[in-house]
Amino acid sequence: MLGKVLKNFDIRTFWRDVRFLKWAGQVLFLILFAYSLVLFVQTGINNLQSTNIPFSFDFLGDTPGVSIAEGFETLPDSGLRMLHVGMFNMIRIMIGGIIVATIFGTLLGIARLSSNWIVEKAATALLEVVRNVPLLVQILFFQAFLLAFPRLEERDRGEIMFHVSSKGIAYPWPERQESAFMFFGFLLLTIYLARRVFKWRVSLLEKEGRDTNPFLWSFLTFLVLTFGNWAGGYKLMGIIGLISGYISAIFDSIPSIAYQGLFSAIAVFFAFRYIRKQIRNTDTGEIRGILSDDDYFRIILSGVVAVFVVLLMFMPFGQNITYFLEGDELFYKSNWGMPQFFDGVAKRFDFNISGPPVIMSYPEIVQAGTTKFTRYSPDLGKVTTVGYFATWFGVTLYTAIFISEVVRSGIMAISKGQSEAGLSLGLRRRSLLRLIILPQAFRVMLPPMGNQYLNLAKNTSLGVAVAYPEVVAVGQTLYNQEGQTLPVFLVWMIFYCSISLSISSIINYYNRKMKIVER
Amino acid sequence: MIRDSKFFIENPYGRWVRDNLFSSSSSAFLTFFAGFMVIYSYRGIVGFILNPERMWTSVTYNMKLYMILAYPDEAMIRVWLSVGLALILGGLSIGFYNSGKTISLGGIFQKLFTISAVIAILIALAPTNTNVIQNDGSIEVVEIIPQDVRMLILVPSLVLTLAFFFLRNVKIKNLFNTAKVNLTYFGLIIASLYFIKIPTISLDSSGERIIPDPFLPIASTTYIPWTILYVGMLLFFFIGSLLKNRDIKIMARLIPISWFLCPLFIFSWIFKKPLVELNTVFSADIPSILVFGVIGFLIIRFSDNESVGVYRTPINIGFLVLSIVVFLLPLVFIFKATMVLLLLLLIVSPAIATTKEGKRQLFIVWVVSLFVLTFLIRGASSDTMLVTPTGSIFGGFSLTWLLAIFGTYASFPLGLALALGRTSTLPVIRIICTGIIEIVRSVPYITWLFFASVMLTVFLPAGVEFNLIIRVLILTAFFSGAYFAEYIRGGLQSIPKGQYEAANAIGMNPFQRIFLVIVPQALRTIIPTLVGSVITSFKDSSLVAIIGLFDILRIGTSVIPAQSQPVVFIGRNLEQLVFLSFFFWVFTFVFSRRSMKFEKRLGLGER
Amino acid sequence: MSIIKTVDVKKWFGDFQALKGISMEVAEGEVLVICGPSGSGKSTFIRCINRLEQHQEGEIVVDGIELTNDLKNIEAIRSEVGMVFQSFNLFPHLTVMQNITLAPIWVRKKSRSESEEKAMELLERVGIPEQAQKFPGQLSGGQQQRVAIARALAMEPKIMLFDEPTSALDPEMIKEVLDAMKELAESGMTMIVVTHEMGFAKEVADRVMLFDEGLMVEENTPNEFFDNPKNDRTKLFLSQIL
Repeated sequence: MLGKVLKNFDIRTFWRDVRFLKWAGQVLFLILFAYSLVLFVQTGINNLQSTNIPFSFDFLGDTPGVSIAEGFETLPDSGLRMLHVGMFNMIRIMIGGIIVATIFGTLLGIARLSSNWIVEKAATALLEVVRNVPLLVQILFFQAFLLAFPRLEERDRGEIMFHVSSKGIAYPWPERQESAFMFFGFLLLTIYLARRVFKWRVSLLEKEGRDTNPFLWSFLTFLVLTFGNWAGGYKLMGIIGLISGYISAIFDSIPSIAYQGLFSAIAVFFAFRYIRKQIRNTDTGEIRGILSDDDYFRIILSGVVAVFVVLLMFMPFGQNITYFLEGDELFYKSNWGMPQFFDGVAKRFDFNISGPPVIMSYPEIVQAGTTKFTRYSPDLGKVTTVGYFATWFGVTLYTAIFISEVVRSGIMAISKGQSEAGLSLGLRRRSLLRLIILPQAFRVMLPPMGNQYLNLAKNTSLGVAVAYPEVVAVGQTLYNQEGQTLPVFLVWMIFYCSISLSISSIINYYNRKMKIVER
Repeated sequence: MIRDSKFFIENPYGRWVRDNLFSSSSSAFLTFFAGFMVIYSYRGIVGFILNPERMWTSVTYNMKLYMILAYPDEAMIRVWLSVGLALILGGLSIGFYNSGKTISLGGIFQKLFTISAVIAILIALAPTNTNVIQNDGSIEVVEIIPQDVRMLILVPSLVLTLAFFFLRNVKIKNLFNTAKVNLTYFGLIIASLYFIKIPTISLDSSGERIIPDPFLPIASTTYIPWTILYVGMLLFFFIGSLLKNRDIKIMARLIPISWFLCPLFIFSWIFKKPLVELNTVFSADIPSILVFGVIGFLIIRFSDNESVGVYRTPINIGFLVLSIVVFLLPLVFIFKATMVLLLLLLIVSPAIATTKEGKRQLFIVWVVSLFVLTFLIRGASSDTMLVTPTGSIFGGFSLTWLLAIFGTYASFPLGLALALGRTSTLPVIRIICTGIIEIVRSVPYITWLFFASVMLTVFLPAGVEFNLIIRVLILTAFFSGAYFAEYIRGGLQSIPKGQYEAANAIGMNPFQRIFLVIVPQALRTIIPTLVGSVITSFKDSSLVAIIGLFDILRIGTSVIPAQSQPVVFIGRNLEQLVFLSFFFWVFTFVFSRRSMKFEKRLGLGER
Repeated sequence: MSIIKTVDVKKWFGDFQALKGISMEVAEGEVLVICGPSGSGKSTFIRCINRLEQHQEGEIVVDGIELTNDLKNIEAIRSEVGMVFQSFNLFPHLTVMQNITLAPIWVRKKSRSESEEKAMELLERVGIPEQAQKFPGQLSGGQQQRVAIARALAMEPKIMLFDEPTSALDPEMIKEVLDAMKELAESGMTMIVVTHEMGFAKEVADRVMLFDEGLMVEENTPNEFFDNPKNDRTKLFLSQIL
């Protein structure tokens, strides 16, 4: 082996050997990089030690002593909890934003391709306005716009349908009841069944060559099942609860460390096998030893999944989920909360639960405590605060505009040659769009769409400008309290990196899936 | 059916309406629906703007604050000089790059017809009344456009519309150069300064602000400087045209270089008024120029010498090591920067300085660039002589502009380096560059700005202190650099493998291959994306308002809404934000449109 | 005296062996045509000669310099060997003149005026002096390929390699490129040409080789090769393409 490597290696001219130059350059670069990094970090450590506030993560456990304007907990008992609230607030905006921006952006993109002059021009005008104004200015504008509404006064008190004031926007909201989980579970099942019915009718159509109305059939299935669901069909889901109850009992009876170790070992084993397979796969053919970005992605992802599973084994994740469901106190045990989780599931999916899954709840304007101020009741209806509205609306509108561009260029890229081909086959315009252009355009659109989602996730951080307590604002509050700027920054970094990684993983997954279908 | 009537089939206008608005029943519905929405929102916007609750004087009074914050009044001429330099350069480029496109008189009338028709339609559709929400929640209806005012605008614009409608068909063969026509339009805008009256602030004899006559011309003193600048611009437009006609090739290189150097020159010398001591000039700058001039001369003189050629590689490596050492040593910055320039000279000189003529030219370029570099760095690194209450001479739009331009300047080379690293075949370099790019990109800009404002000082060695603007620039360079890197990488990946092979086959070394063959092609393919990201960084520069820099946005959202002197503007946020939206919109919109046209002119992607 | 000598050159792409031991010699001024079915390793082989691909075993000696990992040797060989590609690979951002003078100026360190003079000479030789200031995108395929030949010649190589120079051309343009090559061969240039143009092989070549599955199957004079092939594989190949 060594002989092969050293073949033709002339010691006299080693300094101009290509292989030597390559590696020498890389090693030199690595040394320089590492040196500057070490220098950077070392200076940081030295400077921090000379100040009064040494680097520490202690604040995560301490009670911060400040309240948060909104979130699932307004008086968190630890810094970590407080950051959790911020993260949750950020994710809330992100998910709502992604859904609405995708729908609105797609509509806008199609409107821009419309043959109707006025629709096309109106959509383009909206695009040109929103795209050319900084997002921050827009968010601040929406905030100022809401704040310009009158304040809540005593005379406003009482139950209302819809109300806008400088405190925010209040509107009715279906409030979750006990049976909501079961209802939702059944709904998922319904969707699955409707899909199956659709596929079955389509296959029938292909087999027998007559119109079998697949869409109508699947829609009817969905309608009938959902109606039954509402009328009490969700009780069927009680089976899940029953099984969960047994699982919980089983988990309770095994010593926790045994299955922690077992599951971790299984996860690591599978990840290892998968990674090895990936590396071996690339060992053949023309691209020997060269891993594509895709391969790296798969390897990293499987590694991350394995680490995640191991962490899950030793962390009270189940407990946390239960906590969200139940609102119980946190209690850390040596096991990782799986019994509690299944217990919670068993409680949620119980045969004995009845009643409608959601009830409309109407907002009410009430006196704030015993003060003379007036506010929206926090428990009734839904209240969108000014900060939330400004951030969410600004980010969503801005992203929707960019998504419309993605949709438009995606459709345009495909429709040029493909529509001629489709039309020459005798397809009608609507079938052409549905069967030929959209499936292909979707594939073209997916990567830039993912970029827009990433931008949206990052742009939510502008909530800090309108005092919306998302993770950056909360972090800022925290370091103003404790002076621990660097740890907070690291938390931000880890949080945003994992959000970005999750979004791009999902997008990458679909991207690869579609590529495989293509072959 | 009305749709099939004669008018909608035979008349061209009728056919247009039929095809574009009522092509099908769903299209007709959409037309009515969208038309209603458009008119409704338009009326809402007009009502919002003309609402008596809005106090637009809060914007117009503070125009100066917006542009330059607290820049001292006695140095105002410097601001005008900066603007003037850009305008003059603009005039020169318009003249020199004039495409010679012409427009006929009919074409001009066609445009004017469109404009006056749009004005007529807009004023006809504008609402008469608007709602004002009272404090007790009740709504009061207020008249904002009285009928007589509406008629006063509507009737002349209708008349003009009709006039232009018939005039646009005149068959006059006279053709006008579009560049000249556009300059005339610009001149008309400048001329309007003389008679359009917009309320602004003015000072009494003792320099105190007084509540002004609400109808003074725009910033009572600006029309004279603008006129002078406009005349200068015209002058340079004709100089540019002359140079073009004389076919002076060197200008094609000089103008882009001037555009590149212009902001540097403005910020280091004109805008800043640096305090330059002759002492340091004599003790540091002149010796540095002399020494490097001589070294450069020697390099150029001996670059094609046979006996030196043998040692070229060791000399190059030696200089590389030397410049790294110089860069790490605590020396004068001028020395370090010139060292980098020298390295560049060392690389290019063997290829250019092959004849006597080539040597002479290269030497001239070398000396000129030495002077320019020293001059700029001396200005930039000196303290300013101006005293401002906020402590920084940059504020408002000048700060926004500084951040946008210098952010781009700093991030472009970094982005190029990172992109080359990421596409490199050497795994170590590739992995490190990929890591840097991905980590920097996945975290939002605002957190990097927080890093710059509160954390960066921790990582700087004791004694080194940058002010906040510089720290923000450093972080911006990294952040947009990572984005640039991704765009450039896209360009690099679009270069076919054959180009690398061809470069190898004619014996180029890796550096020549990258910088003579690959990078020029890659950059050419991604110019549109790069322009887009420059616009993005212009928009993103508004984020510095959050970390407390007084850019144009922060002035609008926290300075003016807190003003109580001379007029109470407390809480006037909405007006500022509407103005700022419009302001940013004009800049980005015009810039993106211009660049689109420019790209077409360049004839990109000539493959 | 042979100017190119290869001994038992082997090359793998992953598990696939593209060259299974090629030994050959080319004399100075000789024109060698290599033909063979696609995937037979003929392109790979000539790309190994100027190190666009790296051979893994065997040795290649060009003009007395052995091709090793030594950077100096690689540079020396590349500046003596010119190459013309199937897809021209002209630099689209440079004019024809700049394309040709790029290497002389930057690699050979010649003065601009001298290189431009030389470039005009070469353009005249390939018959397109009037196109000097155009961009490659504005030329036809045949003209582009002739520019590519001029570009390679500008480095004053001793050896020219042609990698299927006419495969990407429309039929009516093939002749102008072949004419340029013919003229080059008559001037005494050492040439290795991978091509399917059997007419060119018959007329110009001093020797013809057939590659198949990484091996040199037959080596012969053109007359013998076409009229009286020794190998069955050659007969099959000729029957397929003629």
